[in-house]
Amino acid sequence: MSLLIQCPLCGKRNGYEFRYGGEDKGAYPEGRELSAAKWYDYVHGSACTEGVVKEWWCHRLGCGTWFTIYRDTRVNRQVQEPQESARQGNGRTSGAGEIP
Amino acid sequence: MNRLEGLPTLRIDPARRIGFTYKGYTRHGVAGDSVATALYAEGVRIFSRSMKYRRPRGLFSLDGICANTFLTIGKMPNMAAETAALREAMTVEEQNVYFTARNDPLAFLDRFDRFMPAGFYYESMHKPAALWPAAAEVVRRAAGLGQIDSGFRFSGVCDEIYPATDVCVIGGGAAGMSAALAAAERGVRVILLEARHWLGGAFDYRSQPEEGDRPLYARSAALAEKIAANPLVRVYTGAPMVGGYADNLVTAVAEGKEDDPFDYRYMEIRAKSVVVATGTRERPLIFEDNDRPGVMLPDCALRLARTYGILPGREAVFSVGHDFGLEAAVALADLGLPVRAVADFRESGHDAGLVDRLAARNIRFLPGWAAYRASGVKSVTGVRLAACKSGESRSFACDLLVAAAGLSPVAEPLVLFCGSPEADGSTGFFLPKTYPPGVFAGGSILGFSDPRSRIDSGEKAGIRAAGFCGGDSSQEAPEKGGAGDLSPPPNAAPVWLGHPGRESKRFVCFDEDVTVKHIRQAISRGFNVPELIKRFSAAGTGPGQGGISGHNLPLLVHAIQSESAGCGPSDTAGNTGYRPTRVRPPVRPVLLAAYAGTGREMTKRTPAHDLQAEEGAVFRRAGVWQRARYFSQDLDVSEEVLAVRTNVGMLDASTLGCFRIFGPDALSALQRVYAGDMGRIREGRVKYAAMCNHDGCVIDDGVVIRTGENDYMFTTSTGRAGETIEWIRYHTRYENLAYHLVNLTDGTAVINLAGPRARDVLEKITDADVSGGALPFGGWMDFALTGGIPVRCMRLGFVGELSFELNIPASYMAHVWEMLRRAGREFGIRSIGVEAQNVLRLEKGHVILGQESEQRTNLIDLGLDFLWARDKTIRPVGSDALRQAENDPGRLKLSGIRMKDPAVVPPDGSVIIPADGPEKRIVGYVATIRKSLSPGLEGDVLGMALVEAPWAREGTTLAIYDGESPAGSDAAFSYAVIVRMPFYDPEGKRMRM
Repeated sequence: MSLLIQCPLCGKRNGYEFRYGGEDKGAYPEGRELSAAKWYDYVHGSACTEGVVKEWWCHRLGCGTWFTIYRDTRVNRQVQEPQESARQGNGRTSGAGEIP
Repeated sequence: MNRLEGLPTLRIDPARRIGFTYKGYTRHGVAGDSVATALYAEGVRIFSRSMKYRRPRGLFSLDGICANTFLTIGKMPNMAAETAALREAMTVEEQNVYFTARNDPLAFLDRFDRFMPAGFYYESMHKPAALWPAAAEVVRRAAGLGQIDSGFRFSGVCDEIYPATDVCVIGGGAAGMSAALAAAERGVRVILLEARHWLGGAFDYRSQPEEGDRPLYARSAALAEKIAANPLVRVYTGAPMVGGYADNLVTAVAEGKEDDPFDYRYMEIRAKSVVVATGTRERPLIFEDNDRPGVMLPDCALRLARTYGILPGREAVFSVGHDFGLEAAVALADLGLPVRAVADFRESGHDAGLVDRLAARNIRFLPGWAAYRASGVKSVTGVRLAACKSGESRSFACDLLVAAAGLSPVAEPLVLFCGSPEADGSTGFFLPKTYPPGVFAGGSILGFSDPRSRIDSGEKAGIRAAGFCGGDSSQEAPEKGGAGDLSPPPNAAPVWLGHPGRESKRFVCFDEDVTVKHIRQAISRGFNVPELIKRFSAAGTGPGQGGISGHNLPLLVHAIQSESAGCGPSDTAGNTGYRPTRVRPPVRPVLLAAYAGTGREMTKRTPAHDLQAEEGAVFRRAGVWQRARYFSQDLDVSEEVLAVRTNVGMLDASTLGCFRIFGPDALSALQRVYAGDMGRIREGRVKYAAMCNHDGCVIDDGVVIRTGENDYMFTTSTGRAGETIEWIRYHTRYENLAYHLVNLTDGTAVINLAGPRARDVLEKITDADVSGGALPFGGWMDFALTGGIPVRCMRLGFVGELSFELNIPASYMAHVWEMLRRAGREFGIRSIGVEAQNVLRLEKGHVILGQESEQRTNLIDLGLDFLWARDKTIRPVGSDALRQAENDPGRLKLSGIRMKDPAVVPPDGSVIIPADGPEKRIVGYVATIRKSLSPGLEGDVLGMALVEAPWAREGTTLAIYDGESPAGSDAAFSYAVIVRMPFYDPEGKRMRM
């Protein structure tokens, strides 16, 4: 991963220092038991947006912090938080009780 | 051949001869030669035969843009002779020839070209179907390039460096050097990459004097001196850029010079900004038989003379379309090359000074003329020139035909950063229009032709690149990349694509033998854009990767399309909507060995590694560690197993992960990642626990203890230690939990002391009470060993005997290891390895993740659902999936098996089918199986398998496939029966001693 990622503690670092943590889907949905469909949607379903997505990264070879960035998947670069709501950019349909 | 002497631009040292062999005969070159120039100087003119038509091919470019001069060097096929530096004792061979390149019996194929139209293999090379497996072998031998010697082992040294810099300048010509100096003047660090082995670029070999100015080579030499003296500029020559990636990451592969410690070096340069100043190459002229040996680019002809001191021929004719072509004719004539005629397809617009100089040397100048056909069978013997408009023609005898249609930008590096190029209306070049942040370009690549403006353009790019990096700010602070506001003058030259005539011998791509006729054939079949035509005709798909065809292809396609559309061929490139085909890294051929790198094996060792080695340990890799797997050279672990079962043994378990978690929310974090209830850990007791992922599949198991208020210690498997902290933090990332995690793995040594005499040994090295009452099975205790060495001791039962897991600070490990050996000597203590532990735990039915489990094995499959606390308040990761899987009847179940015939031990991983009943499909697999060595089980072959539930019932017979024999044969299967586990000491009395 040649792109540069801005770690909130360490600054702009080489992409190799980080581990990818998936799209930001919010915290694990509340509810005593999750139905199979909701569980699948959260665990395995991905929006795969063409555009700016919000996602998690861990500074594995540095401070170890988990943080989110916005990345434009069309050019594979980190971008600043877009003006409009990031959630719309992600294009996800929420399950019941999804914590934004 | 005698080299030209006294030229200030020579890059060779004729006094230093280098011997090498070519086709088995000894030849000589000089220091500074490439393999191609050395062979050319020795009189070689036919270097190879083309892939399809077996046409002779010779030296065309000197920059390795085609496979004409691919040779086998030192048994490595497909080495680009034009860029490979000549080294003493190199062995050079032709490749892909029958007999020799001079006399190739398959050359007759050239006459049958009409039976091999574009894409003919798609249509013919599959029928009749029965014939083709054999026919393919024949075709394969005739086509292709080079032969791999399967016994060959690459013995070169490939290393790698990862420098960081502010500005990376790609291209060490005048523009690139100016950019580097301008950036360095503003206080930023610069890396300058140059593909050739010296700086200087296109100026290096040109003596063109400007009015009152120094000759060009002197100007570039002066720049190179300034570069060498500048401490902020690091220069890498012989280091062509091969890739450009996001956020201005640049990769290059450098060829080692004689005194370098490497043969190839991969360079990955983290640059804040990039300046591309890679200059131009020449666009091949298209005419009949334009691929003959003896046809070469003007740049190649001039460099042969001025850089390598080789006069390229005995008499020459030039057919060009640019001023540099005229300059080359004048310069070569002055060096003693008889020039019979210079044709220039431009009617007007030539540099007047150069025209005068041609006249002064009595060289016939033919404006508005171009080459029509080269004559000669194996190499050029003459050329027919023709007027572009009237068609009047004349023939000239020559052995060298210097031809080019103009300049093309070396745009590939720029395109890698910027994306697809478009036709630039004024220069006629295909260049990207928009640049990403931090990418700049300068020099002739942008279309600048006069030396002053090339230097200025490079300087400007350097200033802007430095500004982008925060260097001393100039008036203009660029936010975006770009070509700057200097504009090259419009190029009024027409685009000349050839006289009408026999298109089946006009080559567009040399490597794949693609002619203008093939392009027409592709277009007539509906492949109407360069990307499709490239794929259908194969133009540009050879080793040159479009080096010959790149610029001509879109121009030609547009011209042909315009013809059929009835509006005549385009005069300028500005009208074309087509572009060169896509560029991908690497833009130069790179040996796989260079990408593989040093391949050094790096592993971690425990502090007792050397002590175990002295005892005869045989080590194996376990993750990033070296662990002792056996303690006997014949890999027989029976003595080790018996030692633990009947006596006492000691095992180094330091590689297992060891972590401390503490803080007000430490318990909450543990509850999230562990399936069990960590709130119910009793004082002084060890809790066996497992972690699952969201699919309910077991990813780790270990033990957890509570060492204080909100303070816990837990262990993980060796392979998971590195990721555990990330895992826990990931699964609690939405809540602001207050806890700290400390990875104690490397700081904590672990020695397992196991066997009925284990306590006897331990009591000798400590005063603490370690009796069964004080330290029961499943408990833990902190105490001290002799000398005050702190130890945290846990009584676990992995191997099924009385055992003490001693956790000590790593710095004491070697000392404690020796202490134990001394104390245990009277009992005959043995060191044991991981394989012995494997057998011991197998006999107890204890799982090792990754052996008894795989990606899709969940907690319930392994019979470990007692580790899952269903009603925890904090739902652990995986609980939803486990709930869904609970009643799933189709899952595999961990089961114990015993082979019916104890002489057979199938391999781990063998598949299982039912022995009885109608269903004959795979219903499971053997995880681990070993011949048992323990008392009471001698002779039994016992194992653990994952089997679908209906066949996992005790007493069921299973058939195990040996993995090799044909399925129908009897020898293929051995038989086992499902038995209860644990096999050894089912009541667990031994570990509770």
